[in-house]
Amino acid sequence: MERKSILRFLIILMFGILLAGLLNLDLLQWAKFRRLSDSNCIRLIAQSGARGNILDRKGEIIVDNRISYDVLILPQELSQIDRILSGVSRILGTGVKELKAAFKSNYFSSSIPVTVASNIDLNKAILLGEYKLEEPSIIIQPMPLRHYPYGPLAAHVIGYVNEIDRWRLTKLEDYGYKTKDIVGFGGVEEKYDYYLRQEEGGLSVEVNHRGKFMRVLGFEPPRNGKDVQLTLDLKMQKIAEESLSGRKGSVILMDPQSGQVLALANYPNFNPAVFVNKRTRLIAGLFNNPDSPLINRAISSSYPPASVFKVVLASAGLELKKINLYTSFLCRGSTMIGARKFSCWDVHGVQDIVSAIAHSCDVFFYKTGLLVGAQNIHDYALKLGLGKALGFELPYETGGFIPSPLWRKINKFQKWFDGDTANLSIGQGDCLVTPLQAANMMAVFANGGYLPSPYIIKAVGNLDLSAKKRKLSRVAFKKSTFEIIRRGLRAVVSDARGTGNVLSGLGVSVAGKTGTAQVSRGATHAWFIGFFPYENPKYVICVFLENGGPGHAASVIARQIIEAMNKQGLI
Amino acid sequence: MRNSFLRILILALVITSLGVLSIYSSTYQKEGAWQDIYKRQMLWAVIGLACFFVMSQLNYRKLWDANYFIYGVALFSLFLVFTLGIIRLGAQRWLKFAWFNFQPSEFAKLAVIIFLARYFSRKSADDISLLSGKFGIFRGIIFPFIFVAVPMFLIIEQPDLGSGLMLLLVFVSLLYLTNVRLKYIFTLLLILILPLPFFWHFLHDYQKQRLLVFLNPNIDPLGAGYTVIQSRIAIGSGGLFGRGWLSGTQSQLYFLPESHTDFIFATFSEQWGFLGSSLLLLMYYFIIRQGFIIAQRTQDSFGRLLAYGISLLLALQVFINIAMNMGLAPVVGLPLPLMSYGGSSMLVTFIALGILVNIDRTRSVF
Repeated sequence: MERKSILRFLIILMFGILLAGLLNLDLLQWAKFRRLSDSNCIRLIAQSGARGNILDRKGEIIVDNRISYDVLILPQELSQIDRILSGVSRILGTGVKELKAAFKSNYFSSSIPVTVASNIDLNKAILLGEYKLEEPSIIIQPMPLRHYPYGPLAAHVIGYVNEIDRWRLTKLEDYGYKTKDIVGFGGVEEKYDYYLRQEEGGLSVEVNHRGKFMRVLGFEPPRNGKDVQLTLDLKMQKIAEESLSGRKGSVILMDPQSGQVLALANYPNFNPAVFVNKRTRLIAGLFNNPDSPLINRAISSSYPPASVFKVVLASAGLELKKINLYTSFLCRGSTMIGARKFSCWDVHGVQDIVSAIAHSCDVFFYKTGLLVGAQNIHDYALKLGLGKALGFELPYETGGFIPSPLWRKINKFQKWFDGDTANLSIGQGDCLVTPLQAANMMAVFANGGYLPSPYIIKAVGNLDLSAKKRKLSRVAFKKSTFEIIRRGLRAVVSDARGTGNVLSGLGVSVAGKTGTAQVSRGATHAWFIGFFPYENPKYVICVFLENGGPGHAASVIARQIIEAMNKQGLI
Repeated sequence: MRNSFLRILILALVITSLGVLSIYSSTYQKEGAWQDIYKRQMLWAVIGLACFFVMSQLNYRKLWDANYFIYGVALFSLFLVFTLGIIRLGAQRWLKFAWFNFQPSEFAKLAVIIFLARYFSRKSADDISLLSGKFGIFRGIIFPFIFVAVPMFLIIEQPDLGSGLMLLLVFVSLLYLTNVRLKYIFTLLLILILPLPFFWHFLHDYQKQRLLVFLNPNIDPLGAGYTVIQSRIAIGSGGLFGRGWLSGTQSQLYFLPESHTDFIFATFSEQWGFLGSSLLLLMYYFIIRQGFIIAQRTQDSFGRLLAYGISLLLALQVFINIAMNMGLAPVVGLPLPLMSYGGSSMLVTFIALGILVNIDRTRSVF
């Protein structure tokens, strides 16, 4: 070929290369380069909405938001920064050095405002607002922060808010959660975070290569999170917490007809505000406290139910026709089962079912238990909602545990002895229930045969969920069974020698059952579960004291609560 | 004959106007004197057009006679740059005149082409054969190379590696066209390429960095690689239709440096997209093709070599500049002919096109 033709071919090749380059950049990689171009010149200035409020059943605020003010500086003219910072420091009363340090560590680019001080109060914000007239590069940004008007009230129900952790972030990334997001931990804050969560809005602005502001491209207003209404009654919650005052344990008040939880108090508790104010030392104290104040004892811990469990025995015995109203056993203070002596806490003499419940006679129930059999006890406990999680709305609910011969054989390779049946009959041994399960079980006897599924969320946003949540399952016991047991529960209080006699003479008739759980170490746990008024039960109450002594101690607190409720006209 | 005149004139005018539009779009938001830069470019275009008309009327054979004078002036002005030149952007490339700065290296490119065309052809317009076929290695390669090497060295020392290498490339392709034996050409290339690792040490630091960055722009994204990265973003973000005139954020918000000079193609491409850019490429191609056609139908060897030289100069400058805009070639300071802001380049290009048209016109007179 002639040289000039080759040269011409080379020229055509050169233009071909250029065209291919254009095709590659403009058509194949267009989207990538458009994105890079936008990220060069578009900056977002975020504005935060407020997290949804948490309300009680009447719409009164339990948790809301307080506006705090952040001071930001738009670092357009770097030479002016020192002067502006010293002006700001004069008004805030903080040292220029601190402000400069904050400015330095938060500085990102000249188009993004730098936070120099956060969480300042309204007065100073107003003063700074006047100073802003002289120095327009100061920005005062209102920042909604969680506010707890009642301090630690219902802390375990509410939970707390904090910066998202790595574990939650990996799970929630797909739902639009980002690092440094504030999310709920524990309680409603965690479980309903998706609804409570605010949506961030903000300005998108165009900047040039120096980051200088050019123009506003768009504004998206921030949106507040949805309010969550609880079934809690603020007044009852206060009474419950005040009565518990400093004793380790839980108090639950519940509506037996619907399963709505009206009060749920635990001690030790915590003040969620420490997480908002970032009080590092106090937070570390909460996590390191051996009493675990962050644990929601009412649902996340389970305990031996002790005599409270005798209600299960009575139901099983009556339903299986092993005993009836006229069956009676003689209590001499102890009984022999196999070669072992099982003692009662007192000498009760001849006891029928009603008096045995009233006096909490162990011997009566040892014998009933042996008649019924361990597997039946287990089955009836499950029918009354024990031994498995209730599906309550707050996170970290535990299911408790009811042992059975089968379970022991499979998991422990051990035989089940009559002595184990006797232990189970008085709610000891491996048997564990949560305070909420205990209360829920009592609701069946209060409402005459329906097992509620307890709930605490009444409405999210404007959507009332209570109609959907109302799920009562029929417990198919004979009518007489309920009548007999209810009589026994009433006798616990009304009988002069009843274990809960301290609750009599209140002006409202209470029925219930006490319990004193032996523990391997420390003082006994104290239980009282009951309902009132006896004739037309409106409330189920559960008082549980961890290492709180005999059941009497729990009954005393129950008395205080019912008295206070009566005084405030809540019954 | 009128055909090639009109075609080249119209194509050059369209490209020049697109250049003015792009210069305006990349500078209109800047303050002060920057805003008037497009007016200066328009003025240069008018002067360039005048030169185009003059050169298209002036018999190109006169260049044969003026050859040594032209070469001497080019060399002299390059020496002047060394002593009197003003320094801008770290390079001493410009001579200051009353109200403008002149860049002798642009002029030298054309001067060298005229010189080579003269060197390899015979005086008689009737004798179409070339001398060079009979040349030995000394007369064929070494002697002309000395004449190219002197201005080339002066230009590279300014420093302006791009224009210097441009001279070399035009020289080699003209050698190829003039039937100098391939053996000699390869010998020359070998002699030039072998000591390259040695020359590496003589390169300025910024030149070394540019070469390294060409191999991988991301090694220094905020320094030497910045321009290429931004230029690729600008071209790529244009997409099929472009972002529209005055809507290119890369060039108008100054993310793209040198957006009105060496990287004007990126500025243009961001706003007019693939369609506009490929149209622009097509127009450049048509001008160059016209140059080749003129060269082919010219019987006079001097005119033919001159036409080839001018077309090659244009083609190589367009290719290297656009390739470097796309990150396909290392960043060297080469303007895009007719588009980039700069009077010298504009003037020389129009003069060269004028000569091209004149070669075609004179041919038909014979």
